[in-house]
Amino acid sequence: MADVHAPSVSLPLGFILTGIAALLVGASWLTARPINLAGYHYGPEVVAATHLFVLGWICSVIMGTMYQLVPVALETRLHSERLARWHFGLHLVGFVGMVMMFLVWDMKQVGHFGSVLATGVGLFVYNLARTLARIPRWNVVAIGIASSLGWLSLTILAGLYLAAAKCWSFSPFEPMAQMHAHAHLGGLGFFVMMIVSVSFKLVPMFTLSEVQNHRRAGGSLALLNAGLAGLFVTILLSSPWKLVFASVIATGLAFYGWEVIAILQARKRRNRDWGMRYFLTALALLIPVSGLGIVLAWPRLPATELTAQLESVYGLLAFIGVVTLAILGMLYKVVPFLVWYASYSKAIGRSKVPALADLYSPALQAVGYWLFLVGLAFTSVATALGHESCVRAGCALLLASVTVFIVNIGTVLSHLVRPRLMPLDFKSTQPTNTQPPS
Amino acid sequence: MNEAIVNVDARGLEPPQPMVVILETLSELPECAELHARTDRRPLHLYPLLEQRGFTGETEEQNDGSFITIIRRA
Repeated sequence: MADVHAPSVSLPLGFILTGIAALLVGASWLTARPINLAGYHYGPEVVAATHLFVLGWICSVIMGTMYQLVPVALETRLHSERLARWHFGLHLVGFVGMVMMFLVWDMKQVGHFGSVLATGVGLFVYNLARTLARIPRWNVVAIGIASSLGWLSLTILAGLYLAAAKCWSFSPFEPMAQMHAHAHLGGLGFFVMMIVSVSFKLVPMFTLSEVQNHRRAGGSLALLNAGLAGLFVTILLSSPWKLVFASVIATGLAFYGWEVIAILQARKRRNRDWGMRYFLTALALLIPVSGLGIVLAWPRLPATELTAQLESVYGLLAFIGVVTLAILGMLYKVVPFLVWYASYSKAIGRSKVPALADLYSPALQAVGYWLFLVGLAFTSVATALGHESCVRAGCALLLASVTVFIVNIGTVLSHLVRPRLMPLDFKSTQPTNTQPPS
Repeated sequence: MNEAIVNVDARGLEPPQPMVVILETLSELPECAELHARTDRRPLHLYPLLEQRGFTGETEEQNDGSFITIIRRA
């Protein structure tokens, strides 16, 4: 028997459900307080809401999913499930405390809760690094995951530095430049790098294809890494050279897009389910985000009210557009599988078990998809114009999309408490929505 | 002992269908036969289920990038 296995489902599900709860609170918050997007983006409430999204929603889900996917994607076993459970507790205390302390702008307490969160991240990075150390062979997926872990570590250190600099005013760097550099480390280095890396495994897996050009895939990771290293330094120093490094990153993303298109063109499964549509739409949103990023990196760009609002749109499109939509798409793959595996895998061959696609509603997926896209477009335009009531309307659409997602995921989770098993000779008269690969 | 071999080709199926096909075939496997299952990927989630059912599985990667898992009674 191979020395490989995935951790128990309760571990990733704990992180994922925490993340979904944070997303619901975050979307409700923006709907109730649209001024956070319609007004200037550097204030206690905006910083608190941003950390709720990036730590509570995005980090929780990515970390939980990584504990499940990394052993499977890299054909090894997780170094320690016990450490991962400790990480969950530290993460929960850390991010909730940080968000609350950002709200009252108590930077000393932000630093304390940030240290708790950082300890958890340390366990996460150590656990995955030990897991990576035992993989049979390195590939683009492993290199990308290792890169993203490195960037995550730097993001956390930069965050702690920012909190300390607020307390003791020792930093030689301009405060907004520090904050933007920290945000790019996390957003590009951890989130985008992780999405890019695992997609080299998941997109072929779910479309029945293969990576078409390993050099092109590796090249995209190299450009992203080199570009981000340069971008971090040049943003921190407020250097005009940041345009060059932003262009390097855009080139890396173009190589990535080229490879994804090649993977899709070679796929054996022609019909795309909604989970993949969410994910691929998120990847397409990298185009406007990159374009806006290059505009905002332009040397001597005048610091006007419009520029500040465009920075908010850039953050919105990156974190809510690209990252959130990509995660929703992947969750529509990961959560049904986890639940199906926990509820039905032991019964295969002994009872009639439902197909994976019978666990959720494709109609709700479609409704959620369009609500999300219309809400995102509406919110982006309203944010650029600084129009508060239109931001509220756009965020309400996003909140509606999140609610639909939660209802659908709730349907999936109901199989954990009430599995629908049938006798093997049961002949169903109900049509199923299973779509065989073509 | 000359054991019968039952072959299953579960390539081209989206997860978790390969696992379903293999375990359904396994439930009807004759007493002294072994199952050779061909998949696109190493069937990581299959191993604990084989163990629970009193089987062992050994997986080897093939030259074409597919995997063959040989499943026997423990």
